[in-house]
Amino acid sequence: METQPDLCQLVKDCSPIVRFGLLDDWLALARANSLWPLTFGLACCAIEMMAAGASRFDLARFGAEVFRPSPRQADVMIVAGTINKKMAGAVKTLYDQMPEPKWVIAMGNCAISGGPFVFPGQYAVVEGVDKLFPVDVFIPGCPPRPEALIDGILKLEEKLTGKRRWPRVKPE
Amino acid sequence: MNGKDTPLAPAPAAPATPAPAAPAPEPRPNPLAHLPLPFQTADYSLKGYHLDATVQPGQVVLAAQLMDREGFSLDTITGVDWLAQGQMEVVYDYFHPGRGFRAVVRARIPRENPEIPTLSQVFPGANWHERETHDFFGIRFLGHPDLSPFLLPEDADYHPLRKDFTA
Amino acid sequence: MIVNEPNPPGSAATAPNETFVLNLGPQHPATHGVLRVKMTMDGECVLRAEPVCGYIHRMQEKMGENRTYAQYLPNTSRIDYLSAMTYTHAFVGAVERAARIQVPPRAEYIRVITSELNRISSHLVWWGAFLLDLGGFTPLLYAFDDREMILDLLEGITGARLTYCYYRFGGLYNDVDETFLKGTRQFVLHMRPRLKMYRALVTDNVILRKRLIGIGPISPELCRKYGATGPVIRGSGVAYDVRKAEPYSVYPELDFDIPAFPEGDSMARYLVRMEEIAQSLRLIEQALDKLPAGPVMAEKVPRVLKLPAGDYCYAVEAARGRFMVRLVSDNKEIPYRVKLRTPCLSNLSLFEEASRGMLLADALALMGSLDLVIPDIDR
Repeated sequence: METQPDLCQLVKDCSPIVRFGLLDDWLALARANSLWPLTFGLACCAIEMMAAGASRFDLARFGAEVFRPSPRQADVMIVAGTINKKMAGAVKTLYDQMPEPKWVIAMGNCAISGGPFVFPGQYAVVEGVDKLFPVDVFIPGCPPRPEALIDGILKLEEKLTGKRRWPRVKPE
Repeated sequence: MNGKDTPLAPAPAAPATPAPAAPAPEPRPNPLAHLPLPFQTADYSLKGYHLDATVQPGQVVLAAQLMDREGFSLDTITGVDWLAQGQMEVVYDYFHPGRGFRAVVRARIPRENPEIPTLSQVFPGANWHERETHDFFGIRFLGHPDLSPFLLPEDADYHPLRKDFTA
Repeated sequence: MIVNEPNPPGSAATAPNETFVLNLGPQHPATHGVLRVKMTMDGECVLRAEPVCGYIHRMQEKMGENRTYAQYLPNTSRIDYLSAMTYTHAFVGAVERAARIQVPPRAEYIRVITSELNRISSHLVWWGAFLLDLGGFTPLLYAFDDREMILDLLEGITGARLTYCYYRFGGLYNDVDETFLKGTRQFVLHMRPRLKMYRALVTDNVILRKRLIGIGPISPELCRKYGATGPVIRGSGVAYDVRKAEPYSVYPELDFDIPAFPEGDSMARYLVRMEEIAQSLRLIEQALDKLPAGPVMAEKVPRVLKLPAGDYCYAVEAARGRFMVRLVSDNKEIPYRVKLRTPCLSNLSLFEEASRGMLLADALALMGSLDLVIPDIDR
């Protein structure tokens, strides 16, 4: 399934038609700090997503612990796992069901590019979820650590608000 | 679902059924020698199974019925595509839940017209294994209630594990 | 509108009996992955539940024909990612069996310790997720807290949290250190009182018992006909465990019981798994006590492995049941065929027959008690 990138870009530039300045900034801040993810764990990365929501890594600190089972109530879809050609239609339906504004985080190598399941002659895996719809944040790893998922969510918050609220940890 | 609380099951001190006898390291005598199937003993420490039989495709249902009567359970059914020999091999693995025996029954069918009777009337568990083998190899299991794709998409018409498959 | 007539025409009482098809999944919080179940319902009762699989089919068996034996090792962890060590053990064991490679005893004991730690962490995830399905959120947090301790230990020696690639043909690639050994002993001491707490908090809870006792009875004959293994068959009274039936590694030298409960309902399968955690702790302690010194890698393992022609099997007791690898080799570097016999496929295949006539919530409790990991079915 091919997206139409030009149309998406055009829509992004035109919408919203009316901008409110400071109110937009406040809305962006509110949206960024209360992202409601869709429970869309497909494979191994789902377990690390659950671990990120559990007590040690605690996504609740960032406002994102309310995993919604229904796409109509979610605003970020964390695609955690491999997308299959059989599953691709269902994933696109779920994406279409989410109300605007919505964002997509591709978690794990499978969601970014098909992961370790790409080999010459492969017949079942969609090589990356960005072949189906636009993705905002890519989190590499197989599976990425829960801290990496949290960093991905913070990056999404930075994309929404333009500012990063939490200090960036510099690797030593 | 009655209204009273049933007492909690006690923590087990010993298994509910007698534990299976620990298998001896040297090959055991063939315990299925009384069956009319050509079982041969295999070296378990190399092969991972105790008994191995190659039968005609028309005999696999009879073999399954005999194994069922002996108390075996169906482990898995799979296929192997021998392209160079123009044949496909259907392999039936059995294990015994009580005695821990492992038996293998094999049958070879021609590659151009791969058909073999189904086991799903004897072992209902064969239903999914045969659907998967059909998905991967195109082997038709005669008498199977529903040979639609199991792991592949519903409209799949390709058989990926054949040696001449190209994506 | 006639209000006084008891069953006015057009009311529900006079409507003809209709069944409808309810589609569960593939995206659903209770299906533990991408499983779709087409349920033909009569009101709240399930008439027929037909699982549809294949939504996470990742061509594991086809990849076996495109990768060398060593290149295939990461795939083995991703079949059932919660019980990844045991799956790698099966593949590595099949190759070692075929190539007649002798594994040093220290490596075997470490394999047992890490496999049993993996089994405990898998059962903890099952426990948390199962209770989440039944409606309780708290046990998930407790389970993941304990599981993080296991993951810290295993990360220290393998470098990975979930999909380890620790075993190699002939042993291990990395020896364990003092931190791991001390940490594992501390974990065993920490986990035993936690199990008591779980029993008091959850297992003895009257709500859980009402939801599980008598729900989803599976007879041993049904298990045998479908090839179900693991806690499913042990919860029906048959003490079948690959570690005792086809002993491998150093399990014959260790002393442990096979918990089996005869009732066959969801509570029996639940209790089997909780008891298995206790047995795994016992195995870990014994293996730590008996751990010999020595190398962790066999000496003469060829760089490029070519197995002699023929087929070879190796079965292990994974957390969900019997996992078997069947390798067919034609004396080349890549296998001719890799067949993965996974427990969840056989365990789920009896769901259709076992769930007939059950209420929907009970059917989901039955499905949770089967402990499914869907990539295990789809491979």
